[in-house]
Amino acid sequence: MLSWPNFFSQFFNGLALGALLALISSGLTIIYGTLGVLNLAHGAMFMLGGYAGFVAWQHTGSFALAVLAGSLFMVVVGVLIERVVIRNFYRRPHEDQILVTFGIGIVLVELVRLGFGSDTVSIQPPAWAMGVTPLGFLIYPTYRIVVLGIAAAALLVLYFVLYRTRIGMIVRAGIEDSGMVDILGINVNHVFMLVFGIGAMAAGFAGIVNAPVVALTPDAGDTILVETFVVVVIGGVGSFPGAVLGGLIAGEILSLTSMVDPSYSEVMLFAVMTLVLVLRPQGLLGQQGRA
Amino acid sequence: MTDSVGRVSSRRAIIQGAAAGAVATLLPGTSQAANEPAIGTYPAGSSGDTVFIGITIPRTGTYAVPGEDVLKGYQLAIEHLNAGDPLIRMISPHTSKGVLGKQVTSGVADSGAKPNDAVQNGSRFISQNKAVLITGSVSSAEAVALNKLAQREKVIYLPGISGSNDTTGKDCVRYSFRECFYGQTAAAAIAPVMVKNIGKNKKAAYLVPDYTYGHTVHQSMEQFLKAGGWTTATAQVAPLGAPDYSSYLLNIANSGADVFININFGNDAVQSIKQAQQFGILGKQILSVPYNTPFLARDVGADLMAGVYAATDFWWTLEDRFPLAKQFVAAFEKKFGYKPEWGANAGYMQLAMWADAVERAKSFYPPDIIKAYEAGPEIQSTVGPVRFRGADHQLIRPVIIERGKKKADMKSADDYYEVLEVVPGEGLMQAPDAFGCSLGPAT
Amino acid sequence: MRRSAGWRRWWPEAAAAAGLLIAPFVLPFLGFSPDTVNRIVVWGLFGLGFDLLFGYTGLLSFGQSAFFGTGGFIAAYLLTKNLIASVLLALCIGTIGAAIAGVLVGLIALRRTGIYFAMITVAIAEVFFFVENSPLSDYTGGENGIPGVPAPAFDLGFLKFQVGTGWSMYWFLAACFFVGLVIARRIVASPVGAILVAIRDNPQRVQALGHSTGAYKLVIFVIAAAYAGFAGGLLGVLQGYMPPDAFTFDTSGQLVIQTVIGGTGTLFGPLAGAAVWLYLRDFLQGPMGLGNAWRLGLGLIFVLLVCFLRRGIIGGIRQLFARPPAPAPEETPIALAAPTLVSVGPAARRRVPENGHSGPILQAQGLTKRYGGLLANRDITFSVEEGELRGVIGPNGAGKSTFFKMLTCEVPPTSGTIRFHGHDITGRGVAQVCQLGLTKSYQVNQLFVRLTVRQNVTIAALAERRGMFKPDLLRGLHRVPGLDVQVEQTLALVNLSARADTPVAELAYGEKRRLEIGLALASSPTLLLLDEPLAGMSPRERAETVQLLRNIRRGRTLVIVEHDMDAMFDLAERITVLHEGTLLAEGTPAEIQRNSFVQEAYLGGVAAA
Repeated sequence: MLSWPNFFSQFFNGLALGALLALISSGLTIIYGTLGVLNLAHGAMFMLGGYAGFVAWQHTGSFALAVLAGSLFMVVVGVLIERVVIRNFYRRPHEDQILVTFGIGIVLVELVRLGFGSDTVSIQPPAWAMGVTPLGFLIYPTYRIVVLGIAAAALLVLYFVLYRTRIGMIVRAGIEDSGMVDILGINVNHVFMLVFGIGAMAAGFAGIVNAPVVALTPDAGDTILVETFVVVVIGGVGSFPGAVLGGLIAGEILSLTSMVDPSYSEVMLFAVMTLVLVLRPQGLLGQQGRA
Repeated sequence: MTDSVGRVSSRRAIIQGAAAGAVATLLPGTSQAANEPAIGTYPAGSSGDTVFIGITIPRTGTYAVPGEDVLKGYQLAIEHLNAGDPLIRMISPHTSKGVLGKQVTSGVADSGAKPNDAVQNGSRFISQNKAVLITGSVSSAEAVALNKLAQREKVIYLPGISGSNDTTGKDCVRYSFRECFYGQTAAAAIAPVMVKNIGKNKKAAYLVPDYTYGHTVHQSMEQFLKAGGWTTATAQVAPLGAPDYSSYLLNIANSGADVFININFGNDAVQSIKQAQQFGILGKQILSVPYNTPFLARDVGADLMAGVYAATDFWWTLEDRFPLAKQFVAAFEKKFGYKPEWGANAGYMQLAMWADAVERAKSFYPPDIIKAYEAGPEIQSTVGPVRFRGADHQLIRPVIIERGKKKADMKSADDYYEVLEVVPGEGLMQAPDAFGCSLGPAT
Repeated sequence: MRRSAGWRRWWPEAAAAAGLLIAPFVLPFLGFSPDTVNRIVVWGLFGLGFDLLFGYTGLLSFGQSAFFGTGGFIAAYLLTKNLIASVLLALCIGTIGAAIAGVLVGLIALRRTGIYFAMITVAIAEVFFFVENSPLSDYTGGENGIPGVPAPAFDLGFLKFQVGTGWSMYWFLAACFFVGLVIARRIVASPVGAILVAIRDNPQRVQALGHSTGAYKLVIFVIAAAYAGFAGGLLGVLQGYMPPDAFTFDTSGQLVIQTVIGGTGTLFGPLAGAAVWLYLRDFLQGPMGLGNAWRLGLGLIFVLLVCFLRRGIIGGIRQLFARPPAPAPEETPIALAAPTLVSVGPAARRRVPENGHSGPILQAQGLTKRYGGLLANRDITFSVEEGELRGVIGPNGAGKSTFFKMLTCEVPPTSGTIRFHGHDITGRGVAQVCQLGLTKSYQVNQLFVRLTVRQNVTIAALAERRGMFKPDLLRGLHRVPGLDVQVEQTLALVNLSARADTPVAELAYGEKRRLEIGLALASSPTLLLLDEPLAGMSPRERAETVQLLRNIRRGRTLVIVEHDMDAMFDLAERITVLHEGTLLAEGTPAEIQRNSFVQEAYLGGVAAA
C-alpha cells in the first residue's frame, strides 16, 4: 500500500533494520578481511549471543547487564573458536575453512536447541523503552527506535576503535596484508584472536539487542546469515564502511519493497546483490582484486 | 463352488460351509478376512501379538510446541488402549484390552514439519516396522504428503493437526481420516460470532502465512465475513517462519482496519502477535485468531490475549460441559502434569476412533476398517457426539469459539479463555465435493 | 590420469557393480530398510555431480538444491498432469531443464571464485526456493509439493516390468546410479577431467596455458546441475511425491556434509557419506534414543572429520592403500656433455595465419600501463626479430614484470599496441595469445602442485593439441592425437623424463624451474618469454639452465628477463634495458656494458671504465 505515512514508517523501519544488519555484517567483514576466513557460523553467533544475554537477563532482570554479559560471552566464544579450530585452517584451502565454520555453526545451533528446546525465548526491553512513540502521523515501537540508537552507537564505537586506535590500525593493516603485519613483528596470532572475538561480539551484541524485538529460536541465525552475505557482497568484502552502507541499503530494500509486496522483499535483495556482482564485482566500496 | 479337496460340494456342504463362516465371523479375535489378499502391511503387521503405530510429528522447528502436545495425546491413548482404560472404552465401546486383543507398540520420528521428512519417516515405519497405522502432523503440508503416501502404500493414515481445506478437499484419499477442524469450519463458526460481538460492516486486516493452509483459511474467512458486510482493508502474506513481521505489521497498522485477523500458526503466531503489540496494533484493532495454536495464550501472555477471539478444537474448561472431556483432562493432567491443549485432544481422539473402527471391522484388513469408518456411526467424544462423513472422511464435530479473559477474571493460571459458543458441526460443513474431493480406491 | 593396465582401469566400476548387486542381500542385516537404501542411492547420484564440481574442480557450491528441485518438479509435473507417459522420458526432460537452469545460474555465479562464488550459490538456492514456493505454486503445489508421481514401467515387448516400491525400486535406482557412475568416471578420465583438476590447483596458470577456464567451469557446473536434476526426479519417483524441501538450503548443506564425510574427489564419497548420514539419523534417533540431539551428533562428526580426516572415509581408505612416495633419486642434471642428447623437442608450431608478414615477430608500440596514480610502464616501443635471443635487463622497479604481463596479454595496456607476426593482439587475453604461439614461463613457479610432472606437462600439451575449448568429456585422455608424443618430447627436452611420475611437491627447486620452462614449451610457442629463469639457482644449476636455454632457442624466438648480468651478456645477442618504466637503451651486450646511462642507472654514477 503506497501512502506517505506508510512510506515513512517503512523507511524508518529500514533504517533500524539496516543499522542492525550493518553491525552484524561489520563483524563478518572484518573477520574475512583480516583472517581470510568466511565465517559461516556468524548467524549462529548472532543467535548464541542472544541466548547468552537471555540467561543473564533471567538471572539478573537487568537488560543492560544482559547486553554486557551476552557480548562478553561471545568475545570469549569467538576467541576460543579461533584458538582451537580456526587457527589450524589458515593454511588450508578456502573450501576447508568454509566447511569447518559451516560445521561449527550447526554444532552451536544444535547445542542451543539441546539446552533450550525449540521454543522461543524473549527478553523484555527495559521499562523506559517499552511502549510506542508517536512520531507525527506514525506510531512506532519505542524499543525499535532504541535499537536504531544502540546499533548506531555501536557502529560509531567500532569505527572509533578501527580508525582511531593503534590496535584498530593494526587490524586494518592486517586486512590489507596480514603477511606484512607479521613480518613487521606484530604478533599476528593475537591480532587474529582479537579480530575473531570482535567479530563474534558484534554478531552476539546484535543478537541480544534484537531479542526483545524478534524472539529467539535456535534457528534465528539462518536468515541473518544469508542477509549478512548479501550485505557484505553489496558493500564490498573487507570494508567496514562497505558493511555500513550495504547494511543500510539492504535494510531499506527489505522495508520499502514490502510496501508493494512483502513476499518479494527477499528476492529483491538477492536481485540487487546479483546486479552488484555483475556490474561492480568488488562491491560498492570494496577494492578491486580482492578475492 | 468346490471345497479344498476339489470335489464338487453338495448342497449340504454349502450350508455347512456357510454356517461355519457365520460362526467364524461371530467369534471374537478371529480374523474374518483370513482369506483376503495381502495389501499394504496386512497381514504381516498384525500377525503377531502386537501391532505397530508409526508416529511422525514435528519435534524441532516452528511447529515443535504443538507437535509435542499431539504426541502426548497419542501416548496417553496408546497407554489407555493397552490397559483397557474406561475412558477410551467410552469412545470405542468394543475395546477390551489392546486392539483386537493385540497390544500396541509405537515409534516416534521427528519430521520438523517438513513434508519430505514426514514421508521418509512414514515409509520407514511401513517398510521396516510393518506399521498398521501411520499418524501425526501439525502442518497441512505434511498431512497432504502423508495422505498420498498412505494411499500409495495402502496403510491407513490419520492426520494430527491439519488446518487446510485441502486435506479432506482436493487432496483427500481413501486411506486417511481427519478429526480436527479446518479452515472452512473455523471460518463458518467464528465469523457469525465476530459479527455478533464486534458489529457489522467492519474492516479487517489479514496476516496470512504463505502456504495453502493460510490461503484457504483466508478465503474462507473473507467469504463468511462478507455476509456481515465486512471488507478487507489489507491482506499481508508472510513467508512461513519469518522472524520479523515489522514490514507487514506496519502496513496493517496503517491500513485503518478495525479487526486484525492473524492466520499464522505455531511459533509464527506467537511472534507476530508479540510484535503486533510492539506496533500498537493490539490497542487499536481487535485481534482474531481463526485457527488457534496450542499454548498460544501461555506463550504470548494473558495480557495480550485478553479480548482475543479464537476458534479451536478443544479447551479444557469444556470439562464442565462434557463428561468425557472431564475424564480426559484429569487423566492427561495426572500423567503429564499440565492441562491438555487441543493437539493432545486431536491425537487422543484419532487413536480412540481408529481403535473403534478396527473393533467394528473385526479385522486389520484396511478396506474393512475403511468401511467401518465410512459407516459413520455416532461416536461419543470429548466434545459430545460426533460422526465421520463417508464422502470425504472428515469428522463432523463442533467448533469451539472462545475469547481471551482479562487477567483479573482468570480463576487459575491456565484459565485463559472463556468459551463463548460450542457451534455444532453439521451446519459448518461444506458440500462434500465443494473442495474437489475424490477418494481413491480402497484396493 | 595415470594410464593403468587394462583391467585395473575398470576396477572401480566393477566394485560398484558388485556392491550394488549384493547390497539388497547384505544391508538388511545391518539394519538398513529398503527405503533407506533407495534414498542413499539417490543421494549418491546427486553427489556424483557435486563431487565432479567440488571434489575435482574445487568449486564449492551450496546451491545444488536449486537444480535438484528444478529437475524433480519438472518431471513430477509432466507425469502428474499426464503430459508425458514415460517416466524415463519425463526424468530426461527434467534433467535437461535443470541443465538449462545450470547454464543461466552458472553464467552469473561463475563470474566470481572462492567465497564469493559460495555466497552467490547460497543466495541462488534461496531464490529458487522462494520462487517454487510462491509465484510458481500453481505448478509446484507450493509448500505441498506434487504428490502422486508414478513409478516407471518398462515394456520391452516380450517383458513387462512395473517398478514397485521397496526392493523393486532399488534395482531401477541402482541401474541409474551405475550409469551415472560410468559417465562420471569417463569424464574424470577425459581431457576435460584433467583440465578440471588443474583448475582446482592453479586456475590462472591453466588460463595462461591456453585453456578457456571459464568455459570448462561452466561445462562442469551444468553437468553437476544435470546430475542434480536427474536425482531430483528420482526422488519424486521413489517417494511417489515431490517435496518442496528439495529446494531448501538444508538440502544443499546436507549434500555438502555427506560428500565431505564420504570423501571429496572420489566419486564414491557422496554415496558413503549418504549411507553414514541416513544410517546415523535413524540409529541416533531410534535405538540410541538421542531424540532431538541427532543433528548435534552428526554436526560434531562432520567438524571432526573436516579437521582431522580431510579426505573423508573413502579418501582415508584410499590413503591406507596408496603406495608410499618413491625415494628421490639423485637430482638429474641436464646432460651437458652429450650434445646429441639435445632433442628437437616439440617443434614451434606457427598458428598465426600467414599474411606474408616478413617483419619482426613481435612489435610493441607506445606501451603504457598506469595503475591509478602509478605509471608502471611509459611509452615503450620494442621489437624482436624472428629467431633472436633478446635479453631484457633493468634495476628493480624498472617495470619489467608489468611489461611482460602486457606482452602476454595478462593485463591490458592503458595505451599502445602489440603486434605478433604482424597481427594485432592488443587486449586479446592470455589464453588466446598462448594459442597463437606466444607464451611465458614465470618468475615464481606456477605449477600444478598436486599433480605429477607428466600431468603438469599434459595440461599444457592439451591446450596445444585441442585449442582453447573442447568439450570432449567422454573421450579417453590418451586418445587425443599426438598428445603423448608432445608430452614425451617436452619432458625429454627439459630432461625430466626420469622424474615424470613424481608429484611436483617432491621435486628439487631446480627441477621445478625446469618444469616451469617445460610447461611453456609444451605449448609449442614460436615466441617464448622467460621471466627470470635463473632466479634462486645455484651456480651449477645456472650453468645447466643456460645450456637448456641455448638448446631450446633453436627454431624459436626467446626474450629473457634476467638479473644475472654475466649470463645475460653471455647468452643474449641483443639486450634491451628498462629503467623507471621506460626504455633506456638497446644494443649488443658490448654496447650496453659501455653505455653510461646504463651504468648510471645501475650504480647511481658513472664508474671509471
